[in-house]
Amino acid sequence: MIPRRRLGVLVARYVAAVALVLAFLFPVYWLFMTSLKTADEIFSFPPTWWPASLQFGNFMVLFKDGDAGAVWNSFVLATSSTVLAMILGTMCAYALARFRTGGEHLSNWILSQRMIPPIAVVFPIFLLYAWLGLVDTFTGLILLYTAFNLPYVIWMMNGYVRDIPLELEESALVDGCTRWQVLWKVVFPMARSGLVATAIFTFVFAWNDFIFALVLSRTEVTTYTVQVTHYFGGQSNFWTKIAAMSVLGTLPVFVAVTFMQRWLVRGISMGAVKG
Amino acid sequence: MNPPDPAALRRRKANFAERHFDRLLVAPAITVLLLIGVFPLVYLLMVSFQQITMSEENRAFAGLLNYSRLFTDTRFWESVLHTLFIGAIALPLELLLGLAMAQLLLDKLPGRQVFVALLVLPTVISPIVSGATWALLFDNRFGPINQMIGWVVGHPVTILWTVKPDLVYPAILLCEVWQWTPFMFLLLLAALSNVDKSQLEAAAIDGAGFWRTFFRIVLPAIRPVLAIAILIRALDLFRVFDIIWALTKGGPGTMTETVSVFNYTQGFQQFETSYTAAASLVIVIILSVVIMVALRRMRIDR
Amino acid sequence: MNIRRIVPASIAGMLVGAAALALIGGAHAADSAAQRAVEAAKKYSGKTITIVWEAGLQSLDPLNFSGPMWEKLTGIKVKVIEVPTEEMFTKIMQEHRAGTGAYDALNVIPAWMPDLALAGALEPLDAYVDKFGYREELKEIAPTYRDNQMTFNGKIYGFPDDGDVFVMYYRKDIFGDPKTQADFKAKFKYDLAPPKTWKQFDEIGQFLTDRMSKDGVYGAAFFRQAPYAMFMFEERFRNEGGKFFDAAAMKATVNSDVGVRVFNEMRNENKFMPPGVETFGFVENLAAFAKGSTAMTISWPPYGRWTAGYGTDEKALQWVPKTQIAGKVGYALPPGGHPELAAGFDLSVASTSKNKEAAYLFIQWLNSREISTQRVQLPYTLRDPFRVNHYTDKVYLSRWPDAKDYLATLKAASESGLLDLSLLQTDKYEDALRKGITRLWAGEDAKKILDDVAKQWDDTTKAVGVEKQKAAYANWASKSGAYPK
Repeated sequence: MIPRRRLGVLVARYVAAVALVLAFLFPVYWLFMTSLKTADEIFSFPPTWWPASLQFGNFMVLFKDGDAGAVWNSFVLATSSTVLAMILGTMCAYALARFRTGGEHLSNWILSQRMIPPIAVVFPIFLLYAWLGLVDTFTGLILLYTAFNLPYVIWMMNGYVRDIPLELEESALVDGCTRWQVLWKVVFPMARSGLVATAIFTFVFAWNDFIFALVLSRTEVTTYTVQVTHYFGGQSNFWTKIAAMSVLGTLPVFVAVTFMQRWLVRGISMGAVKG
Repeated sequence: MNPPDPAALRRRKANFAERHFDRLLVAPAITVLLLIGVFPLVYLLMVSFQQITMSEENRAFAGLLNYSRLFTDTRFWESVLHTLFIGAIALPLELLLGLAMAQLLLDKLPGRQVFVALLVLPTVISPIVSGATWALLFDNRFGPINQMIGWVVGHPVTILWTVKPDLVYPAILLCEVWQWTPFMFLLLLAALSNVDKSQLEAAAIDGAGFWRTFFRIVLPAIRPVLAIAILIRALDLFRVFDIIWALTKGGPGTMTETVSVFNYTQGFQQFETSYTAAASLVIVIILSVVIMVALRRMRIDR
Repeated sequence: MNIRRIVPASIAGMLVGAAALALIGGAHAADSAAQRAVEAAKKYSGKTITIVWEAGLQSLDPLNFSGPMWEKLTGIKVKVIEVPTEEMFTKIMQEHRAGTGAYDALNVIPAWMPDLALAGALEPLDAYVDKFGYREELKEIAPTYRDNQMTFNGKIYGFPDDGDVFVMYYRKDIFGDPKTQADFKAKFKYDLAPPKTWKQFDEIGQFLTDRMSKDGVYGAAFFRQAPYAMFMFEERFRNEGGKFFDAAAMKATVNSDVGVRVFNEMRNENKFMPPGVETFGFVENLAAFAKGSTAMTISWPPYGRWTAGYGTDEKALQWVPKTQIAGKVGYALPPGGHPELAAGFDLSVASTSKNKEAAYLFIQWLNSREISTQRVQLPYTLRDPFRVNHYTDKVYLSRWPDAKDYLATLKAASESGLLDLSLLQTDKYEDALRKGITRLWAGEDAKKILDDVAKQWDDTTKAVGVEKQKAAYANWASKSGAYPK
């Protein structure tokens, strides 16, 4: 028999959670609905909350015209650069956390990379890439996103690694593991929730980038963010396409995040398994 | 000399890897960062001492011309002020709201996974898309926000969120906080979940109340992640662009022009390459100083 | 139907035949510029040329129509690089500065020409024009576009390819209602008709709103968002007698009494327009007019086509609000009689291109008489008529019942239009004006705003170099479309 106070708190929490979800998701709902409306419904007064009929054709058009390929480009770029950044970054973060490699100077320099506004450096990078022949290539953008996400990964994982009690690693070493094995068998699993949380946002930052994708692409590597801006014209405004493309571009990330956060939750409930 | 023994070779390699373990860990990341990070800064530095504009690429050394122009440019410093204003309001809001949300969804709850997944959604959306969506939401005639306000007040209203000076900042802040609170929420959720359960239980047994436990045990435990989250978020807030561009383009006048918007119009559209290089470097220097100070304080506390 | 030029009527048939032959991929027949371009381009068969085009609706032309046709005729592949409108100038300059050679042909807004030409990004085209005999057909581009949007400092840098101009659209049925006419005449002592002056516009607009707002109809609406309102200000200011600069001293005079008056009148007009008109963009304004909620508006030529229902069942135009006023739309010149040639597009060749001649031939072909006539009639096109023969083209005239009035108005506009202000660093001046307009809607004092704008203009002039800018301004002001005659 659950004590009544406990039940009351639970219900209150539940209500609050539902209210939060409604508030935060309302704009998403509106975007989603916009992608299923006709143009007249988008510009209707009073605003249409639920379209007369669901215009799935708005999505079909994107696939037929090949615009949806932009979502695939974004997917390739974001996934590759996230994997790269997570691996390189976590390794580096571990070294910084446990060995203070390079001391303050290195870690400060790394963080300072994130201080540079992308707008300021996008043109010099364009010049560099033009010289290297990396404009409008997958390699170029993957490299770039990795570089821009590394400071974030390094700093976040630094924090999460510090949370792992040193004794666990030391006992593993005593048991005869090499340092690499310690990394693989102890650190990565223990930092799992931190890894997931960091990976999620690393992925999202790369996925949602606009300014680099705009300047460093011409026709081959059009990402979904750039594709969406194609629909804003001086004498046109493809709101249905904007909304549909936005939904197409958001769904994969949403699915990925939902998928990944299962680990997050499991990490949470596992907590710190201590002796 | 005897030919090297393969086993000894392996051992030597392994020893090398062990001894230089930390540097090997750090090397790949540094390489990538150097590749991308060094040239732009060098370029910006060089160019800020030249006079490259839209019409000519005057590479002659021009001394501190751009910098002195910068220091008397009220529009630039106003943009810095606007950026700080947005950050000063948005960051605490996102932090407190995110913390509250994380605490709310920390313990077991039916359907908690669903809640967490859904609440992360706003952060996942591209800022361009969210800017466009909010522009639609705020639309005076075709947007639901004014419609809902009209229901409350009892008659249709005309509220120009992106035009009237009193309303532009609330609109921008609403959009910004909506988009990034889930970021804080998720980070803090991960951090809170790693707090040592046994300590919490001990405190509960000792009869400590919620707030006492929070300030004495939880806060110190999540401090590293909290500090980084604040730092990262503060830096990102400084670069806010898409939302402002989608809603007001820095208007009315230059009222909501942030540093990025300034940089965009002057550098991107008007090709004041040298001038904006100087501006960017000044910004980087300011930010570096602030971050150094913040980091030092964090280290001392730790 | 008279074709103005003194040519035998058989030419018309020959052009149709030539076009047909061209489509089949046939060879020599007529000696038209399009044919010459095709013939000369065949030796580049197999190459790929790139062309920068405004993303979205505009790009459908080269993607679905002209690109494939050109490839069929010459074997040259056309790669369309779609760029969002806002970023076009930036990307063109960036690629030029980096010397990548990635762009061959370009779409350029005429107001950018001084900056791009001076930066060396555009290839002068005179030599090619003479080599491939395009002078004659160039003369056939409508006067205001031809004389104002083709050259800079005497050299040809682009071919005007889009007849962008502001047209006044009004509801014939509302204006033609006898009771409304009688009541109006009684009150104002002149006949109700499309306004010839801005004073008339204010009177008509207020009158109609008073009369019909209870039915949800307003006298007028405009796209009041800053980028669009800026064009309208440039037009109205000059129609009312304003001058942008004192040419001798090169000082901004946009804050003169005329400017202040125009600003104040613009803001006062919002009162009889739909609430929230300050946020109206291109589509909101179109929606209001097409649904019948406004009796007058001013906009680019596509409004005229779409409200008549032309092309709007095309998939590409699904986003266009469905017209409920087809057949009820009248066309006129905006008050003052000198409409703004707002924006527009030129076809140019990038100076860093590695395929300059091939790129040139493509744009000559696109811009030529016979091909452009087809292009401006594509149902999904945003390219508006810009050649003299477009206005009298038989096929176009038959597209919808009122097309003849539409084309006649466009023709009149092409003879009296006003050029967008273009100097060095035009964007800085335009940006100051745009920001001033946002402050106008925010409620600030008009004189104060314009004084600030004038100061920003003067500061920019100083930064660019007064003498340099003076020369550029003189160059612009000497054009027929700079100020109303």
